Amino acid sequence: MKDRLAQAVTQSRADYTEIRVERTWSSVVAFRGRRLETATVSEDQGGFVRVLNKGYGWGIASFTSLDELPTMVTRAHELSRAVRLDEPIRLAETAPQVADGVLDLDGDVRGISLGDKKKLLDRYNTAMLAVSDVIVDTQASYRDEVSEVWYANSEGTSTYQLCPEVVVSGTAIGRRDGSIEKGLESIGLRKGWNSVQDLENAFRVVATRAVDLVDAPRVRGGAYPVILDNELAGVFIHEAFGHLSEADFVYENPQAREMMTLGRRFGKPVLNVGDNGAAAGLRGTLPYDDEGTPTQDTQLIKEGILVGRLHSRETAAKLGERPTGNARAISFRHPPIVRMTNTYIAPGQKGVGFNELISDIKLGVYACGAFGGQTMLENFSFTAGWGYMIRDGKVAELVKDVVLAGNLFQTLDRIEHIAGDFTWNQMGGGCGKGGQFPLPVTEGAPHVRIEEALIGGDV
Amino acid sequence: MIERLLESARGNVDAADALWRREEQTAVAFESGRLKAAGISEEAGLNLRVLAKGRMGVAGTTAAKPDVRELIARARASAELGEIVELAFPNPSSQLLPPVATFFDRTANASLSELIRMGRLLVERLARPDCQINVAVQREVADTAVGNTAGARGEYRATGIAVTADITRIAGDDVLMIYDQYVGADMPSDADLEKLVHSVESRLTAALRVVAPPDGALPVVFTPAGLAAVVLPLEQALSGKTVLQGSSPLAGKVGETIFDDRLSILDDPLTPGRPMSRPVDDECVPSRCTGLVERGTVGRFVYDLETAARAKTQSTGNGRRGVFGKPQIGYTNLVFRMVDGGRDDAAGRTSDLGGGLIGDIDDGLIVDDLIGVGQGNVISGAFSHPVGLAYRVQRGEITGRVKDAAVAGNAYELLKKIGGVGNDGRWLGARWSPSLLLEGISVASR
Repeated sequence: MKDRLAQAVTQSRADYTEIRVERTWSSVVAFRGRRLETATVSEDQGGFVRVLNKGYGWGIASFTSLDELPTMVTRAHELSRAVRLDEPIRLAETAPQVADGVLDLDGDVRGISLGDKKKLLDRYNTAMLAVSDVIVDTQASYRDEVSEVWYANSEGTSTYQLCPEVVVSGTAIGRRDGSIEKGLESIGLRKGWNSVQDLENAFRVVATRAVDLVDAPRVRGGAYPVILDNELAGVFIHEAFGHLSEADFVYENPQAREMMTLGRRFGKPVLNVGDNGAAAGLRGTLPYDDEGTPTQDTQLIKEGILVGRLHSRETAAKLGERPTGNARAISFRHPPIVRMTNTYIAPGQKGVGFNELISDIKLGVYACGAFGGQTMLENFSFTAGWGYMIRDGKVAELVKDVVLAGNLFQTLDRIEHIAGDFTWNQMGGGCGKGGQFPLPVTEGAPHVRIEEALIGGDV
Repeated sequence: MIERLLESARGNVDAADALWRREEQTAVAFESGRLKAAGISEEAGLNLRVLAKGRMGVAGTTAAKPDVRELIARARASAELGEIVELAFPNPSSQLLPPVATFFDRTANASLSELIRMGRLLVERLARPDCQINVAVQREVADTAVGNTAGARGEYRATGIAVTADITRIAGDDVLMIYDQYVGADMPSDADLEKLVHSVESRLTAALRVVAPPDGALPVVFTPAGLAAVVLPLEQALSGKTVLQGSSPLAGKVGETIFDDRLSILDDPLTPGRPMSRPVDDECVPSRCTGLVERGTVGRFVYDLETAARAKTQSTGNGRRGVFGKPQIGYTNLVFRMVDGGRDDAAGRTSDLGGGLIGDIDDGLIVDDLIGVGQGNVISGAFSHPVGLAYRVQRGEITGRVKDAAVAGNAYELLKKIGGVGNDGRWLGARWSPSLLLEGISVASR
């Protein structure tokens, strides 16, 4: 395959050519309630070509028929020549990479029978269903994959990556009369079969929570001091800040560049934020991005000050900065765009735990878990899985429908306390941007306290 | 391809059905007002479902030359683990496919330069100082063939065109984002593009001034785009799957009037010129229109073959399948038809913000976009979201854009009584609706 790519790159008439070919082996098992929905094995494969010519724009082709590779290189070249540009597109220099990035398969999922995968998921699904007869419905899914990606470009880069991924998820739906609530568990890792064993308890916990939420009151809307648990704090930093740090948002927009000037204060000195595509075993982890740039740990906020951003080769060249290995595509069907990998809030002071964060809050909300989040850059929303009221420095009653609405600048500046209890959230799901969803990412954070945040709901 | 596959499957399994789809697309992208990229994509895939010893299994492939035996073997292996399903595939006698316009030569033959021309027109018409504009134009031709071992067949060609425009305006730390689209099977006329320009412009102009949000239980006009949070719970609850699983609040309510009696909701695969329209579904069931809610009364839920078999009812022709998974229930075109708005041209006579509903509002909001829709506990009907794009209405006039506010309510409660129906009905992707005025929405500001 490497030779096929090299040959096609050599034969290209374009000034710059890159080719990505992917082959993904995957299996899926899913239960809904007590019934098996599906158990199936798939193989998806295809190619992607992107070329650039001086004075012209990008020409792009994606295809499932790999025999067409030479034709597609020609067509991409023609498409590029149809896009005249006054200001040329430049790509930041990177050292050509000739290497294989083969990750530990951690129990190669291709060697495990579909029947064994069904048995494993059946156990987790049954654990949820057995909790209570208030659990009226469940959704449980197991998905694994082993993907091979060959990449070559006309600057001499030629890489091969072999990566595993495994995601086990469960949703438990609790219902009593009109009150319907859910509990959600999701474990996603760039690992294999060995890492998703013995998870019954996690599934039992979410089903129990769904039952408890059925009878819990809705949180009263308003502004509160809020403590985010590790999972939600991770989603928060991804949504609220991470997307703004993607350089494709600023690189052609002078006003956005001004807003995101390096050196600007974004938070108190306690706040440190980064994105690390090279961290071991996480879903956002990859040896190389989809432009052949090695991934790295990129510091974004240092002691409250904006110090970096995430780049593709194009955005880095435009801003005179260095590529960070963040050009990613969800598959051969898409071009790489600037994306996060594993985004984190670094731990605060060692020994500072949840108790230190909560002790002086008279009335507040402890927001836990994440159903999801979305950003419109300056404003964001994230939905907690559940929450508790904080009363007189203590965790009080369970509440539901905890949705945090916020303004990035105000909210980041209101983080004054960060605990030392950092964890990575190893969730399934993924990030969506520019029609590309779901991209595997991970977030990590300790407990974080926001002095005041807006919680939606009845007032 | 389908013939060969089904022929090989016959005798190998009890029964089988399959879908083959080939899609080719051309797209151009303008970034910050400049044409930056042009691309094509070509993709073909084959999905097979088998029944073997009464059990169901699926397999799919994107291989250019599918190995039919390997695909059948994989589907059989899937079936060995599968549940027993009493599934009867439609036979040819039930097959009178309704005529529906899905293919338009103009879209199929649209040249790259035509796509670039449309994009450029939008960029020029929408250019504003201090605003960044991105425009994307994408055309598509899809060939679909479905068939089963009972002898039923279906085949059609469809075209699609999507023109999207988004504007970002940053002033200090204020970020304003406005988005709109034209989506159809036929090419947009210049008048259609002008309508898109007007829609973006009117929302942009009204958004330039930022005003303080109100607080309390207030009247809110949800634009066709803003309605997403309100209609999503209904979309989930009207699926035969959630009904079967016991998680739909509408289960057991067929025949009950639980919404405003002006509200009807249809699933209509036969609307000409819509990208989701089709003569036959992905399981060989002929398309037809389904009344989900009729004048406030719960009508029918939507089904695919498997869910219908388990619920002892008929498929409504809502089977949808991709290359890899098994068929699932999916809506085609979801139409929110209001009796006093009507789904006629009069309903779409304005693209003015608010659809003519704000005159009597003393203090309230127009909600055009909410952040985080679909991420809460959707099926319960409860929603609570910060506003992405919303405007304050005072004494019957739009006074400006509001930020840092969140709206909350329950779709089932809110749709019991609709305060007003806009005259701005339009398609937004696969959903048609006018603006709706809903009362007593909880608005929380900071």
